[in-house]
Amino acid sequence: MTKQELRPDQKQDVQPPGEPARTVKQPNVADEIKESYRKLEKARSILHTAGDIEVGQTPNEVLVETRAYKLLHYQQMVSKTAKTPILVVYALINKSYVLDLQQDKSWVKSLLSQGFDVYLIDWKTPTPADKYISFDDYVNCYIDDCVNTVLKKTKVDKLTLHGYCMGATMSTMYTTLHQEKVRNLAVIAPVVDTEKDTTVIGNLAKHMDVDKMVNVIGNLPSEQLYACYSALKPFKQGVNKYFNLVQNIDNEQFVGNFLRIEKWLYDTPPIAGETFRQWIGDIYQKNLLVKNELRLGSELIDLSKVNVPLLNIVADEDHLVSPQCSAPLNDMVSSTDKRLMRFHTGHVGLIASLYSQNNVLPKVGQWLKARSQ
Amino acid sequence: MLSSECVMAENDSKEMQGFTREQINNMFSFWTDVTKLPTIGPLYAFSKDITSYASDFVNLGKVMAELKTNMDTYWTLMSAAYARAMKETMERAPKQLLTKDDFENYRRAAIEAFEDAFTELFASAEFSAIYGKMFSSQLDVSRNIQGIAEKNSKTLNLPTRSEVDDILKDVAELKRSVRDLKRSIEMNDKTGTTT
Repeated sequence: MTKQELRPDQKQDVQPPGEPARTVKQPNVADEIKESYRKLEKARSILHTAGDIEVGQTPNEVLVETRAYKLLHYQQMVSKTAKTPILVVYALINKSYVLDLQQDKSWVKSLLSQGFDVYLIDWKTPTPADKYISFDDYVNCYIDDCVNTVLKKTKVDKLTLHGYCMGATMSTMYTTLHQEKVRNLAVIAPVVDTEKDTTVIGNLAKHMDVDKMVNVIGNLPSEQLYACYSALKPFKQGVNKYFNLVQNIDNEQFVGNFLRIEKWLYDTPPIAGETFRQWIGDIYQKNLLVKNELRLGSELIDLSKVNVPLLNIVADEDHLVSPQCSAPLNDMVSSTDKRLMRFHTGHVGLIASLYSQNNVLPKVGQWLKARSQ
Repeated sequence: MLSSECVMAENDSKEMQGFTREQINNMFSFWTDVTKLPTIGPLYAFSKDITSYASDFVNLGKVMAELKTNMDTYWTLMSAAYARAMKETMERAPKQLLTKDDFENYRRAAIEAFEDAFTELFASAEFSAIYGKMFSSQLDVSRNIQGIAEKNSKTLNLPTRSEVDDILKDVAELKRSVRDLKRSIEMNDKTGTTT
């Protein structure tokens, strides 16, 4: 088919009779190539600056700092209207600043602007010496210490525990064991029933010899996590996002958003070996959490013991923790006040997007406020 | 008489051809010491462990062969997915690339086709199994190399990684015990205050 020929489905641009002849400016191929090259070069140089971009800018103070974590307290933005403080438990995967990635998409800032008193556990990077740190340490030591600090500072006897992803699972474990300190449990994409998980991560975890990995390597190395990430939507997200960057390279806002997410994606600390062994072996492979057979030290995690108000927030398009994996939590607990909120977005879109600011956070805030007096 | 003969003989042996017994002993023990020298150095350790080293290297060869087999299967699956994606791209993409839109449509078709093919692969039970096997073989290679390195640590009189691991485990368990003790003291104090 030559340039002049048309396929049957193509409409010919017919010149209406009597109208003056239109001159259609054909794009100059050489100019286009030149322009594409300029954009490509600009993208290449900008990508090198991703590490310098600022994130997590909502003002906060470090209340406690240990080898394992920093407990942050965010400065209030409006007068406090909710009596119950919120303690955010972030995951052990990547860094917590995704919850405060940029001012117009900050989960933390939105909660502050709704009158909540917000605290966050910012996990530090484990070193090879932390190989034997387990969920028992994270839940019964670190989270418990943070809960006690917040309760003491705010002079209340209970708080709202608010976890994301792996942090949501840890928050749930904590609530089963220390319910007397928890007023509400609000979880985002918790990993619960892994047999129902339909993600690539769940599939790869099934045949991983995690005992051998921990014995030989120790902590889960960042490279292994990158390998897992690269198997998630490898072309639609992994490749296509760079085409979009090049196309939008002159759009400052687009580039800023892109670089912040990119920085977060590649800011992947290792995971403590023993914790990873439990995460993959006990939770993903044996599904012990949903069977109420998971043990932290000598204590059994029995989800049916949870009777505090529960809010479970899941994303329909989540390709890291499928909604089918998170939703069963509501059936497992004994709480009478429980709610499952589903949103049409993805794992990160749920917490760090304009969609989240406009659709998710107002509803979450409303639910929390009604139970925070 | 007998005793005086004995004394004479003793004197003779002490000063044989002008050497004292001590000097002779030193002379002979010098060579003995030379032969003993490797027992305190790395050479002896290497020579002692030669069989074990040889066995380690044979095992390393075996696990590397296994790794290669698993990697071959892995790459076969990847290549098949790639071929499937290329075929799909050819079917979905514009046949000729004449305009900017054609290129854009080609890109979209390629991204869709590759996404479908590779997501299907990564979500399959077959891929999960071979990925697990390949990862396990990689770990076996690392474990064998670590085993050889550990022997060298012993040679250098350094604690081995396994020994350091044991200490780290002990420290982690001790920390937990201290935490539990602290909690139980706090609980006892609270109970004591309320009663």
